Parts: sequence; structure tokens; C-alpha cells
Amino acid sequence: MPRAGVVEAGEAIVRQGSKHQMQFIRSNTFHWAAALAALFAAFVTILFGFIYFKIDDYLIARSDGMITTQVNFFAALPPDRRIAALDDHNRQDSRGVHFAGIFDANGNRIAGNIARLPGDLAAGAGVKSVRMAQANDEETGAPLVRAVARSLDHGHVLVVGRNVDETREISRVVGGALGLGLLPAFCFWLLAGAWLSVRAQRRVEEVNLRVQRIIAGDLRERLPHRNIDEPFSRLAAIVNGMLDELETTIHALAGVGNDIAHDLRTPLTRARLTLERGRTNATTLEQLQGAADKAIAGIDQSLSIVTALLRLAEIENSRRSSAFGNVELGEMLREVCDMYEPIAEDKQVALSVGTSATLYVRGDRDLLLEAVANLVDNAIKFTPRSGSVKLELLRGGGETILRVTDTGPGINDQEQEAVLRRFYRSDKIRNTPGVGLGLNLVSAIVKLHGFRLIIHSGPGGRVEIICPDEFVGRA
Amino acid sequence: MTKVLLIEDDDETAGEIAAELADRGFDVEWSSDGLDGLAKARDLRPDAMIVDRLLPGMDGLTVIESLRKDQVRTPVLVLSALGAVDDRVRGLRMGGDDYLTKPFAVVELIARIEALLRRPPETRETTLRVGQLELDLIERTAKRGEREIDLLPREFRLLEYMMRRSDQLLTRAMLLEEVWNYKFVPATNLVDVHMGRVRHKVDGPDEAPMIHNVRGAGFILRAVS
Repeated sequence: MPRAGVVEAGEAIVRQGSKHQMQFIRSNTFHWAAALAALFAAFVTILFGFIYFKIDDYLIARSDGMITTQVNFFAALPPDRRIAALDDHNRQDSRGVHFAGIFDANGNRIAGNIARLPGDLAAGAGVKSVRMAQANDEETGAPLVRAVARSLDHGHVLVVGRNVDETREISRVVGGALGLGLLPAFCFWLLAGAWLSVRAQRRVEEVNLRVQRIIAGDLRERLPHRNIDEPFSRLAAIVNGMLDELETTIHALAGVGNDIAHDLRTPLTRARLTLERGRTNATTLEQLQGAADKAIAGIDQSLSIVTALLRLAEIENSRRSSAFGNVELGEMLREVCDMYEPIAEDKQVALSVGTSATLYVRGDRDLLLEAVANLVDNAIKFTPRSGSVKLELLRGGGETILRVTDTGPGINDQEQEAVLRRFYRSDKIRNTPGVGLGLNLVSAIVKLHGFRLIIHSGPGGRVEIICPDEFVGRA
Repeated sequence: MTKVLLIEDDDETAGEIAAELADRGFDVEWSSDGLDGLAKARDLRPDAMIVDRLLPGMDGLTVIESLRKDQVRTPVLVLSALGAVDDRVRGLRMGGDDYLTKPFAVVELIARIEALLRRPPETRETTLRVGQLELDLIERTAKRGEREIDLLPREFRLLEYMMRRSDQLLTRAMLLEEVWNYKFVPATNLVDVHMGRVRHKVDGPDEAPMIHNVRGAGFILRAVS
């Protein structure tokens, strides 16, 4: 059924396709882009506003200075030349921004272009904004004008002003520039956001499609990634690395499965053959029982493989126990030696223990004993007649080292990793009985304790269990 | 008749164990549920119990713990698919009960039940005797009739254990656990090698054998009849 799963997933993606155009608006990337665009617009608006007010201030200050200079100039002129200068001043103004006039004590215009004397303009005070109209242009209304008044002889009043409405023009220009710059920029931001969002969405979909294939069982599938330093590509590379690792592990597991099947089949086949032959050929009860015994032995061997595997799994899955105690290694080695001495003797292999001091480690005594027994078992098995097996306990570099050496063939460089693989049996020793899980078990026990297992290459076997001091118990 | 209570939820396993026990002359009661088993254990007062660890109703170890709280001291053999890297299991063994990991051979189960039922009494005797065989626990010497037997310490330990449990089938796993304190089955046939040594010393060339090998099961020490 896994293929069907892929097809369904593919269809689902196609069906979703039409929704994508709307989906990007809801996407996180787009939201971020829109928020940034809004923030940018607000910032630019504030900036333009600031520039506008600064220019406005500057222009008013400048025109105020100008008016003050002019009013002082006119006031200082002799009265006969004053009116001519005033008219001249007004004539030179092409834009109609100049205001200047002389009024008598009753407020009647004597000269100049100002329609009426503004009531709120006190003579002798500073420059201020007042509404006033030009005499020839009264119907357009009175614009706001910066103006200043001076008292002259005979109660006459001199008024000079300047229309600063041009600052409005500046604000229009600034606003225009703002619109011209900001609107396209804002649109650009939105478009970029949409583009990024759609792109991210596409990549997610692409990844989704591949992941669906992986889920459906195609372990060779990998996520797409370009060779550029971009988060998506980096993420894809990381995930691909993980997938490589998983693929290797799964293949290794499948390999172990095959090995188990193979190792179980051999004794089972033998048992079956024996039973079959016994059933056909046995003429007496004894012969039948003999066949049954042989068959049981074959089944027992299969069972022992299963048991060893279960035990391995059990140790691998257990945690460092709080019930770990202090284990005296020397005494433990002597015990193992005592146990294996008759076997070594039968094989004419000299078995010896060399310990100098009383050394303790923190651990599970039963499991450590099992590990050491496995190492010794192996060492005796692979050591030829009249060889020797030595158990040693050493100290050095903040570590306690438990070493098993033998005069057997040892393990060569190529085999060093392989021996820790399940069911691995060197070709040289194919005929030696054994399940081929011994070193796995040792390795699992050592790992559980936080120790290290080192298998030195031959000639001569040398295996060490290294117990760092942090795991060494106190006497 | 010796009464054995079997608490095991797998019908097939239970059927086989029950049939085997019945063949050997035991009176077998079977329960397939933890709570029911506990009730039966209280009512029937069996001589020994075989309890699966994973049971519906109440798990096997809890059944045993509640029995012990009621001062019921019936020896128990616990069966489990799990191994023995477990503190509760260790406690079980310390308490005089036993533990067997599935899959197991039926002979192993029977041998262990017999061992539980026939736990040797605590004696102040310093000499063990089986037929002509004599073991002095103080002097650490052994004799068969008038013949002195020279034993290594480890051989002495093995023979002592066998003499305390004479006429009982002792499986290899039992010997490993009890004599050598091994909680695992080593790859090499260690027990056979050690037993060979002891047998060679105990059974002289012209003497009737006392140590018997039971094919595919283990060993028995028996007085010469």
C-alpha cells in the first residue's frame, strides 16, 4: 500500500495548488514583509515631516530678518524719498509677496499696497503673522503675512510685510517627493514580501513532497538544496545528513536481521533434518530418542542465540543504575580466573591474574563479571595450545585499566570495527563454536558504565576496558 | 500431594507447564489473572507458586509482595520475558524465591520448582553425608568411604552444594547461579568442565558412579543403592 500513499499525497498537493495564491497572504513571511513596509513608510513620513518643518522654520526666520532690515531701511529714509522707495520696492515684486505701506494716525493709507492697517499690529513690536490684503487684490481674501510696523513722524505708521505662503508650496513639493518615493517603495516591499512568501511556500511544498516519499518508504530520497549559504539550504543539508545516517542505520539493522535469520536457520535446519531422518529410519525407541535429543540440542542453540540477543537489547536499553556499587576488580578477576582455569588447563593455556593494588570502580558487579568472563572466554577460545592468557589491572593517567592479553592471532586493523558488529565471526575462526555476540555484549556493558572498550590490533590479542576516575569508586 | 499454584495468562504455556507438573505428580491449580491468583494463593495455601510477571489484573511481582505482607511465605518461581537486570528481581532472589527468563526449557522449570520445594533445612551439622560420601565443612576435607578426596576450593564448593541437594536434578544455570554466582550463561560449557573434574575425583575408576549426568538437563548426586 505504500505506493498508493504517495499518489494520494501528490493529489492532495495538486488540489491545494489553487489555494496557494491566497495562502501566501496569510503566510508568516508576507506578514513580516507587510509590517516592515508599513514601518518603513511611517519612518519616511516622519522624516519628510521633520524636513518640512525645519525648512519652514528656516524660511520664516529668513524672511523675518529681511522684513526687519527693510523696515529699518525705509524708516531711516527722509520722508520725501520714502514713498518713492516704497513704491519702487513694491513694483520690483513679481510674485506679489511684498507688502509695504504708510498709514496716517487715523489708519488711512498714504502710500503702499496694503489695503488696510491691520488692527492687531502694534508699532514698534517684533515681526508677527497677521492677515492683510493688497489694495488692488482685496477680493482674493487676506493671506497670512509676516509683518512689522514702525511709528514715523506725525503719527504715521510704516508697515512692511512678506507673504510666506510659499512655504506651503514647499510642503507641496516635499509631499510630492514623498508620494513619488514612498508609494513605489511601499509597493515594492509588498511585492518582495509576496515573492519571498511564495518562494518559501514553494520550497516547503517541494520538501513536503519529498518527505511524503520518504514516509512512504523511499529512503534514498533527499531534500533539494543548492550550494549556497542560505538558511533553507543549510536546513536541507542538515536534514539530508540525518537521512544519510538513518539510511545507514536501517540498512545495518536489516543486515542484522539477515544475520539473525541466517544464524538461526542453520541449527534449525539441522534439527529438522535429524527429526525427519529419525522419523523415517528409526526402528527402536532408543534410535528415536537419540534423534530427538539431537534435535533438541539444535533448537537449544537457536534459543541461546535468541536469549543472547534479548540480553544484549536489555543491557543496551537499561540506564546507569543508582544501585551501582563499589566493585573490587582484583577479586573479580581472580574469580573469573578460578572459573576458567579448568578450561584453560584442558587446552594447555596458561591463565594468570596480575594485580598490584586493590582497585575499585563504581558499577554493577554481575554485569562487569559477565563482561570480563566474555573477554576471557574469547581469549581462551582463540589462543592455540600452550599459549597464555593474562588478566591485568593497571593504573595510569587518571584511569584504571583492565587488560586481557592472549597469544592468539589477535584482531587485525580491518577487523577492529567489524568485531563489534553483531554476529561477526572472523573467517579464520569460522569453525570455532559461538554465537558471535560476545564482544557486543561486552561493549554494551562497558558503555552502560561510561567506560571505554579498546581492542588493540594483533599479533596477539589485547583488549582493554578503561575506567576513567570519575567512575571509580572509593574504597 | 504437593500443591502448586500456577498464575499465567498465556493458555498454551500454562497448559504445557500444568501437564508437565501433573505428570510429575504435582497437584496443579491454574489461574490466568493476577487478582484471581492472589485470592487463590490465600485460599488454597499452595506449597509453591509459579507466577508470570506480566499479568492482567495485577502484575506478578505485586501479587508476591502483597502475599509477603500477609506473612505468606510460599516459595515463588517468577516467569518473565524480561531478563534479570532489575533490582526487584535481585530482591526476589535474596528472599529465597527464584526467577526464570522466557524462553525456558520445561526441565529447567521443574528442577527449579523442586529446588524451591526441597530447600535444604538450616542445619548446625558440620559434616554432610550422602551414602559413602562425607564432607567435613570445618576441616574442608572429603572422603568416599575410606578414600580421601583431594579437592580444590572451587571443587569443594560445588560438591557441598550438590550434597545439600542430593537426589535433585541440578541444571547448569542453577549451578552457575548458586555455586559461582553467575547471573548469565557463558559461551563455554564451564559447568561441564568443572563437573568433570569433581566427578573424576568422587567416582573412582572401580566405584559405582554417584554423580549422574541427565542428558540435556543437568546433574544429580545420588547415593549408591
